Amino acid sequence: MSDLTKTLALAASGMQAQGTRLRHVSENIANADTPGYHRKVISFEEVMHRGRVTGEVRAGDVSLDQSDLEDVYDPDHPMADETGHYDGSNVELMIELADAREAQRSYEANLKVFDQARQMTAGLLDLLRR
Amino acid sequence: MFDKLEILQMAHGMATHAASRQSVIARNVANADTPGFRARDIESFAEIYRADDGGMALRATRAGHLPDAGGDGTAHHFRTFRTGEAAPNGNSVALEAELMKSAETKMQHDMAMAVYGSALTVLRASIGR
Repeated sequence: MSDLTKTLALAASGMQAQGTRLRHVSENIANADTPGYHRKVISFEEVMHRGRVTGEVRAGDVSLDQSDLEDVYDPDHPMADETGHYDGSNVELMIELADAREAQRSYEANLKVFDQARQMTAGLLDLLRR
Repeated sequence: MFDKLEILQMAHGMATHAASRQSVIARNVANADTPGFRARDIESFAEIYRADDGGMALRATRAGHLPDAGGDGTAHHFRTFRTGEAAPNGNSVALEAELMKSAETKMQHDMAMAVYGSALTVLRASIGR
């Protein structure tokens, strides 16, 4: 039984991490047109507890994508310099959408494993019922 | 007293193995996007069962090998080994393969439950209830 409870916890940690990832993706998409915005990227890491790997996963620290900002030409823009250019954001919508889709796929996989383990627990308890 | 029944012991070992394997699979799936993570798997129940010559006392059911004996509740009582080719970021989890294994494990667990359940039915019949 303890292995099954652990399975549930592992799958839940995976879903939580993917949820965090999706939140950062949506922040990036929302700020796609914010001047000077650097897109946020996160990486996943294994959770350590008392120096030992537990197998659970969590979203690591947020870092900013330092690639060049888009150079937008718009002389009417309030932030435009004397040449008529201003710094846009470095968010690529296609990349964000692909990332969101990948997060969804991994989330569903975790959900599937969660459901599988839940059914196994139910089967175990059914033995008592007969 | 029912510990002595080989079929119950075998079903117990099979269910324990399925639970452990499911836990290893859940770990792989949760870390499907963790850079540098290598997927793991444990030996199949058939291999463990065959390798154990000491009659029906499965390795998984021996006292020292119970899941909680190690303290952290993981499947360390079964040998884990690494599988798969790594992606450019060092991650070797293939989600499709893991879900296949997960479904397989669920079926193995169902089978163990069914065997255990019908063995109990036979027991009940033998005491006339």
